[in-house]
Amino acid sequence: MYQIPRAEWYDLTRATNWTPSYVSEEELFPEEMSGARGIPMAVWETYDEPYKVTYPEYVEIQRQKDAGAYSVKAALERDAYVDRADPGWISTMMAHYGAIAVNEYAASVAEARMARFSKAPGNRNMAVFGTLDENRHGQIQLFFPHANVKRNRQWDWAHKAMHTNEWAAIAARAFFDDIMLCRDAIAVSIMLTFSFETGFTNMQFLGLAADASEAGDHTFASLISSVQTDEARHAQQGGPSLKILIANGHKEEAQKMVDISIWRAWKLFSVLTGPIMDYYTPLEHRSQSFKEFMVEWIITQFERQLVDLGLDAPWYWEDLTKDLDTTHHGMHLGVWYWRPTVWWNPAAGASPEDRQWLEEKYPGWNKTWGRCWDVITDNLNNDREDLTLPETLPYICNMSQLPIVGTPGDGWDVKDYTLEHNGRLYHFGSKADRWCFEQDPVRHQEHQSLIDRFLSGQIQPADLPGALAYMGLGPGEMGQDAHNYAWAAAFKKQAKVA
Amino acid sequence: MSDSDLKNAYKQNKVGPILNGGDVAQAAIDAAEWDNPDKDITVDDKGAYVRIAAEGELIITRASMEEALGRHFEMREIEIHLGSMAGQIEVTPEQIRFYFEKTL
Repeated sequence: MYQIPRAEWYDLTRATNWTPSYVSEEELFPEEMSGARGIPMAVWETYDEPYKVTYPEYVEIQRQKDAGAYSVKAALERDAYVDRADPGWISTMMAHYGAIAVNEYAASVAEARMARFSKAPGNRNMAVFGTLDENRHGQIQLFFPHANVKRNRQWDWAHKAMHTNEWAAIAARAFFDDIMLCRDAIAVSIMLTFSFETGFTNMQFLGLAADASEAGDHTFASLISSVQTDEARHAQQGGPSLKILIANGHKEEAQKMVDISIWRAWKLFSVLTGPIMDYYTPLEHRSQSFKEFMVEWIITQFERQLVDLGLDAPWYWEDLTKDLDTTHHGMHLGVWYWRPTVWWNPAAGASPEDRQWLEEKYPGWNKTWGRCWDVITDNLNNDREDLTLPETLPYICNMSQLPIVGTPGDGWDVKDYTLEHNGRLYHFGSKADRWCFEQDPVRHQEHQSLIDRFLSGQIQPADLPGALAYMGLGPGEMGQDAHNYAWAAAFKKQAKVA
Repeated sequence: MSDSDLKNAYKQNKVGPILNGGDVAQAAIDAAEWDNPDKDITVDDKGAYVRIAAEGELIITRASMEEALGRHFEMREIEIHLGSMAGQIEVTPEQIRFYFEKTL
């Protein structure tokens, strides 16, 4: 049977705009949902998605992707890799699933908003596939860890985390809600698909796949790289939106949306992906440092893409490139120290060999973070574990919802960037975090960080056990050192030999 | 990389696909060589993904993929392996093209 080539009918079949007669255009496409920004419908019809797919093609390709990922899982299940994997790698998976899986459903909602409310037919068409993609990512990333729930209650946090007030869950939700759930269709196409998905998801789904593959975890490697192939397609929705906004006098706003999304993504990744890549992944399986992955995917590849589409590097780019050497080390130290407050077991990654690697990748590490780890190591080796556990809570940024960190050592430089707004004093971890708030104070002003909730008496009893209960962390769920301090004992042995 | 290197790291024009490994990635390397004869094709294999790149523009045709794989190949099948890309993309049934509009 002769089939008309797709190129000859595709544009016609997805030209699904019409002139509404029962309702007004404004009722059909409310501005707060559509985000057309005064640009006429006819202009949105010029939106040309670079990655064109039809429904039959989509189904056929997705079936093959699922067949690949699920068959790898099935084939390796009896191998029971999880039972012999390094505890640091187990923590990597637990942190990943808890922070990501349920947010994929939120991303599906965001895609569905574009599918319904974007005035660009091409955007609506691609977003239908995006909605299905993200639904797949939610399901598959819950199904895989579910096989391990029998092993340990912490695995259950793949599903549970986002339904709690655990601090990392609050931080992840604050970011994803901002860019996915509380934005109009066009803003979603720029902040979620362009900024986050052509930028940062590469770090978590391809960079981490490289480490997974090194660690012999082929199930996880094939799963996350399969997820990223969907991202590579539907992330292409933002580019045409950017072109239309720039051509119609909205470059400044487009730039601002990109800048907010990238900064907030960076902060979340500094606490999630940074520690995973530089500390949890066993040394021999680290394919690159977190900084090297950031340079590869964000500093080189993503920034180049921004320039090509007619935008500039974000105004804070120099701060970000400097922070690549620092922020995630501080975040890691905080996560490890406050380990009872997370649903995974943080690996210290501070054995003699680890520290040598860190010094090589981040010259000066021993003189700064190393000094904190020296104290922790001594305490552990002198049977004073109690001194390595938290009794209070850290100061938290009112934008990232993450601890405010600086670089320890002689140049100790922690700084609280404050802002007084409507009689309330807000605290931020950086100039850029404060700037994100200032762009739209009404959006963020009512939000209370975990510490704000603590100070206002919402967390009772007002102590660490009260905070742990508030965060939903029960026995068997609270994090402990992944290796039961074997890394610290290695220093003791060294001292004896000497 | 020093801070000033990082500041200028984006000033390059490498475009191309990032594919997860396997026979399709291998075929794409061959196809990239055949379809862009005047270009220097670079391949960076990171195990879980392979970065294939050329300056400014890189084209991979369906015909070359079929030749390299020795079987029927639909251009859209590349999506099963395409984890990311440097540059903008344009996909037709006969070829996939990665490019930058601007040269830096």
